[in-house]
Amino acid sequence: MPLFTKLRSLFRNLFSRPDLESDLSEEMQSYLELLTREKLREGKSPAGARRLALLELGGVEQVKEQVRDRRLGSWLHSILSDARYALRQLRGNPGFTLVAVLTLALGIGANTAIFSVVDAVLLRRLPYHDPGRLVMVWENNSDRANPFNTVAPPNFLDWQARNSVFSNMAYLCDFRSNLTGGGDPEEIIVQAVSANFFDVLGVKPALGGGFTPENAQKGHDDVVIVSFGLWQRRFAADPNLVGKSIVLNGKPQTVVGVAPANFQWLVKDGSLTGGTPQIWTPFVFPPSYSEHKNVGRFLAVVARLKPDSALPQAESQMKSIASQLAVEYPDADSHWGVNVVPLRQQVAGHLRPALLVLLGAVVFVLLIACANLSGLLLARAASREREIAVRAAIGATPWRIARQLLVESMLLALMGGTAGVALAVWGTNALLAASPSNLLDLPSLPLNLRILSFSVLATVFAGLLFGFLPSYLSAHSHISQTLKEAGRGTSSARRSALARNSFVIAQLSLALVLLIGAGLLIRSFVRLVAVDPGFTATHLLTFKVSLPDATYATDAQRVQFFQKLLPMIAAAPGVRSVSMESFPPFTGLGAATGVHILSQPAAPLSELPVANVRVIGPDYFPAMGIPLRSGRFFSPQELSEERHVAIVNQAFVDKYLQGAEPLGQKLAVYMKSLTETENFPSQVVGVVGDVHQMGLDSSPEPTVYWPHPELVMSGMTVLIRTFGDPRAFLPVLRDELHQLDAGLPLAGVATMDQLLGKSISSSRFTMLLLGVFAAFALVLAAVGIYGLIAYSVTQRTQELGVRMAMGAQTRDVLRLVLMQGARLVLLGAALGLLAALGLSRLLTSLLFGVGALDPLTILTVPAFLALVALAACYIPARRATRVDPLVALRYE
Amino acid sequence: MPPESTTLLQGTLDLLILKSLATGEMHGLGVSRRIEQITGGTFVVKPGSLFPALHRMQDEGWIASFWGDSENNRRAKYYRLTKAGRKQLDSETRRWSRISLAIARVLEAS
Repeated sequence: MPLFTKLRSLFRNLFSRPDLESDLSEEMQSYLELLTREKLREGKSPAGARRLALLELGGVEQVKEQVRDRRLGSWLHSILSDARYALRQLRGNPGFTLVAVLTLALGIGANTAIFSVVDAVLLRRLPYHDPGRLVMVWENNSDRANPFNTVAPPNFLDWQARNSVFSNMAYLCDFRSNLTGGGDPEEIIVQAVSANFFDVLGVKPALGGGFTPENAQKGHDDVVIVSFGLWQRRFAADPNLVGKSIVLNGKPQTVVGVAPANFQWLVKDGSLTGGTPQIWTPFVFPPSYSEHKNVGRFLAVVARLKPDSALPQAESQMKSIASQLAVEYPDADSHWGVNVVPLRQQVAGHLRPALLVLLGAVVFVLLIACANLSGLLLARAASREREIAVRAAIGATPWRIARQLLVESMLLALMGGTAGVALAVWGTNALLAASPSNLLDLPSLPLNLRILSFSVLATVFAGLLFGFLPSYLSAHSHISQTLKEAGRGTSSARRSALARNSFVIAQLSLALVLLIGAGLLIRSFVRLVAVDPGFTATHLLTFKVSLPDATYATDAQRVQFFQKLLPMIAAAPGVRSVSMESFPPFTGLGAATGVHILSQPAAPLSELPVANVRVIGPDYFPAMGIPLRSGRFFSPQELSEERHVAIVNQAFVDKYLQGAEPLGQKLAVYMKSLTETENFPSQVVGVVGDVHQMGLDSSPEPTVYWPHPELVMSGMTVLIRTFGDPRAFLPVLRDELHQLDAGLPLAGVATMDQLLGKSISSSRFTMLLLGVFAAFALVLAAVGIYGLIAYSVTQRTQELGVRMAMGAQTRDVLRLVLMQGARLVLLGAALGLLAALGLSRLLTSLLFGVGALDPLTILTVPAFLALVALAACYIPARRATRVDPLVALRYE
Repeated sequence: MPPESTTLLQGTLDLLILKSLATGEMHGLGVSRRIEQITGGTFVVKPGSLFPALHRMQDEGWIASFWGDSENNRRAKYYRLTKAGRKQLDSETRRWSRISLAIARVLEAS
């Protein structure tokens, strides 16, 4: 059959070339002989016959060539030979090939890795039904900085009743709980939610029926839904877990569902624990919540927009409801407004600035890589003009020449592209592994094919444009001119020189922008780390203890527990001092409320000065290394019974007591209850130094410290100052705790160094990444200018030879070459500086303690770039001085 | 000048070669002379066109080649029609008739 025959012929044509060729030669010979004999018979002489026969044949080689061209698969054969030739060329120029492939790999790989990560984080698939219609609804206060303030339950009820834009609203609030039974006691984050929480999110449990409306009633709310991970880990994926009972904080709860495998509550804002919830339980409002009292603000609220409602509509309606409430309940709600945020934005929003900056950096690197590649290819094109002219002269069609160049560019693109893909895969995984978990908490990342193909196409396009086009164009024209030329100074070479110069200038300016950005981030980070947190952070171990209500029902029991625990730990070897606190620094957690300073006029709660409230144990300030500014610390009696005393920090004094004597002031802190009468005023006995509670980059806030007996919280963080490595103390600690109460888990163990490190981890990460990109850019730009100058030197060999023969010294030649480079560097740096001045504004949200136009950075970084670039020019410049004038003059 | 076979008339050349081989196997020069003879000198096929055509048609499987002795007792490469080639000849002949008929009609119409 025809296909089979054709395939067989194709095979033979490709792989039995030598036999085919000898066969063809023989055939041509015999044809010639037959023709000669024909002529002889016509009466010509033997010599004449042969000559005529040859004439009629028209040239053996030409005929053979025609036959070869028309063979089946000849097209494939010549592409393959083009590829072989290209490979030889590339191997013969290892420097060029290496740089070109590396450039491609960097451009494609780095680009794809970052784009994939950004894409996944900013466009992450949320594990809820139709997440585009979900929003978070927060309160916000004009006097406070927090745009995502937790919500008061009575306000939630009013919002629910008065809105017409949401089809459903749910609330949630998390707390720590001890899970016992079926293993070691373990501390679990539990999320107390409205019974319709999963309905609002549109999520059905993987096992069991989940919450029903019945669970929204008191008495029917002792049920839980367990996370998939917890189900697998602690309950061994028991298929019959639904219906069984687990014990939380001493109280039994019935399991009514297991959440789906990918389900997670991804919003970190509004969390009271800072952890990831693993159990959900219904939270039924007590009746007091619907009578409009001040019960505190501690809920996070998620709502689903109705199909026909849009976000702006929802925002304006909620704002007007909030202003209604502010008028109706001025005591609780004046100055409070509403903030509606799409869920997706809530999850990824705080990452956006950093990710966008990185995205910009990567685009720059891609541009530089393309410029580098283009410059390289242009130089090659120029140096091959001769070769191409010769080819054209001996009969190659423009198409044939173009095809060879195309194959070469394709081969280069293929090699670079493969390296780029490999780098992209490795880079993506490396990024995920190295990134702080609060920046990117994704388990794994598939490669983003869209971005990969875009990067590949971009670089291939650049390669084609500058590798192929100039050569192709030159093959069409000026062939004889090119052949006659001694040197290479054609107008097309001048054009290509202009293009190459522009590329180098562009590269330098882009590199400068990146370097300045990185420099700003580095300075910013150094400033950040230099901030004194207000206490001594080294050798400090922290862990959390939550006392369950079942076993520690009364205040007295809880106070007693800690009174036993702390001295026990203090007595252990290696411990310098021990204390405890409700919300230690750098955990991102805290509680704040209104404080009525009695010496100042009264005001409704919502207009009172706001202060953080911290509950502390004995020896807190000395153990933490927080200095005393005036007055005294708490006495032992004040730390064991309720004595209504308080200590404030300097920020409180500066902000609220301007000038007045702080010691002796009486403060009514609205923490225990939100009515004046139940908040017995505390007397200020001391003023202490400020602590950067939320992070090194946020300023200290006014804080009121209470001794533990004043507000007996059941969950406290214990702080241990050790002599040696804090972590070495862990086993001892576990034992001690176990001795006191075997049912209490050791939870949330971290050294303060770790916590501090975590709080600056995203700044560090962004800085490192931008630094890496800036380094890439610098290397690429340096290589670019090196290549240009090196090439120019070879071009000018004759000229330099003449100059040296006429008496030019080494330093004259050096100066000549370096001036050429310096001109480019100057232009590039100037352009880059202008661009940086305009663009650095975009970095301001990431900077700390450093302005976007920081003079130190703006002055030193360009100098650094110039130094590196000139150093890159120096190498070929030196080579230029070693040119032997006699050789140079003969050089063509 | 008699029109030479060019790439434009490649299909025609194939037909001519097939037809000339239908009357018997022949070597390259022989095929060329036969075509010249049959067409009364209208088509003179140069080797630059003949051999590529012959080799391509061999690749397609319409003709087959073998080495044999020529008139002067020298070795020469002979070509013969294959079964597939015969079929191709038939279909090409029919196609050609259709085309020439159509063209004739066009020319007749005034």
